[in-house]
Amino acid sequence: MSQSEQLVRRLPNDIGGVPAEPVQRVEHELEPWEKRCHALADVLDFHKIINTEEKRRGVEALGAEMVGKLTYYERWIVAFANILFQKGILTPTDLACKMDEVAARSSDEVAAASARPEAR
Amino acid sequence: MHPQDHGHDHDHGHDHPHAEISQAGQPGYYEIMETAMRELLVERRLFGADEIRRQIEVLDSRTPALGAKVVARAWVDPAFKARLLANGRAACEELGISFYDDTGLIVLENTDEVHNLVVCTLCSCYPRPVLGLPPDWYKLKPYRARAVVEPRAVLAEFGTVIPDEVEIRVSDSTAMVRYLVLPKRPAGTDDYSEEQLAGLVTRDTMIGVVPASIPAGRADP
Amino acid sequence: MPSDPQQAIAIVTAFGERPIFGPGDPVRILTRSPVGHYRVPIYLRGKTGTVEAVIEPAGVDNEEEAYGRNAGAKRHYYRIAIPMTEIWPDYVGSARDGLRIEVFESWLERI
Repeated sequence: MSQSEQLVRRLPNDIGGVPAEPVQRVEHELEPWEKRCHALADVLDFHKIINTEEKRRGVEALGAEMVGKLTYYERWIVAFANILFQKGILTPTDLACKMDEVAARSSDEVAAASARPEAR
Repeated sequence: MHPQDHGHDHDHGHDHPHAEISQAGQPGYYEIMETAMRELLVERRLFGADEIRRQIEVLDSRTPALGAKVVARAWVDPAFKARLLANGRAACEELGISFYDDTGLIVLENTDEVHNLVVCTLCSCYPRPVLGLPPDWYKLKPYRARAVVEPRAVLAEFGTVIPDEVEIRVSDSTAMVRYLVLPKRPAGTDDYSEEQLAGLVTRDTMIGVVPASIPAGRADP
Repeated sequence: MPSDPQQAIAIVTAFGERPIFGPGDPVRILTRSPVGHYRVPIYLRGKTGTVEAVIEPAGVDNEEEAYGRNAGAKRHYYRIAIPMTEIWPDYVGSARDGLRIEVFESWLERI
């Protein structure tokens, strides 16, 4: 079996039994955006916009490299974007423009905050 | 190098950096994506902004303390325990723990003959309505890959040694059912109130990686 | 007069309504290799075990659900018991140790 065939046959998340390191008991308090992302997943599921199984498939479809390099909630939010595009609910342009708007808004807020007297 | 063998998951041993922060106070790329997506979907009326806020409250209200109450009740009330083992979700609902999704719950009783351990090799299935959100280690490769092939070695890494005469049963969650381990009641707790018993039940005892125990140095409940 | 009241009512059940397997049945997990989404891990393909329980109620095929098809024909999931020594030839642990997993009916065959 070629190595590329293995990539297709075995999903990147199907890791039961593969060699791995000792367990390190890491945990972290969720960042606010991660918690919002989790809540978003639940709300999308309640509304049957993106069900839980679709989310799982969407994460798998990111492919091995992204699955390896993005954190848990980063994988979710990118998977949601792809699925929403596939379903015609958003377009890549919609999201890109909105992201620019959000980023600009945040820059303005940071600039305004550092201009305030108490920040000096 | 195989894709599964490297990448971000390997780096989770250290202090974990999360959303990339390009400059102080600025949200990272993924946070911006989340915010933008949420605002667009609310603008287009796919759901209300208040639904996200509400669901955050729902999530914040789900902690291992809920599971601990279920376990303590099962320890003191044999009839409840029987109902819990027959239908985990229904018994939790009796105690007011609603399930906000379509998952079922099977409660796995640890005995002198059987020690249960729960994992989700494919993703991170976890009984969130009754335990809250899972710890990172549960979702990362080492636990998911090894719990199903060398459970005794994995348990030893948690300081748990199970004698060979005791069967280890590993449940791999893949579908609509979630699992909660009912740990063995520690010896020397006959005088404990239900509340005191619940205090002994931690999240990790309900995943099955450690047994419930009386903390060292504590003579009285 | 029929002695069994249920015999007076003749019904035909819909496809998937009744579970094909029951507790105690020996089964094998199939070895097909789907491209795209699946929920039966590779480490269990082809392994044999015993049905421990029928999960009720019947449910949608989660592999179909992943493509947005979350209605329609429902079948049962089964909690399957498989000895660790059946899964891993070099298993290190007790011969008693076992695995449990829920498997959709379309992934199982009777042996």
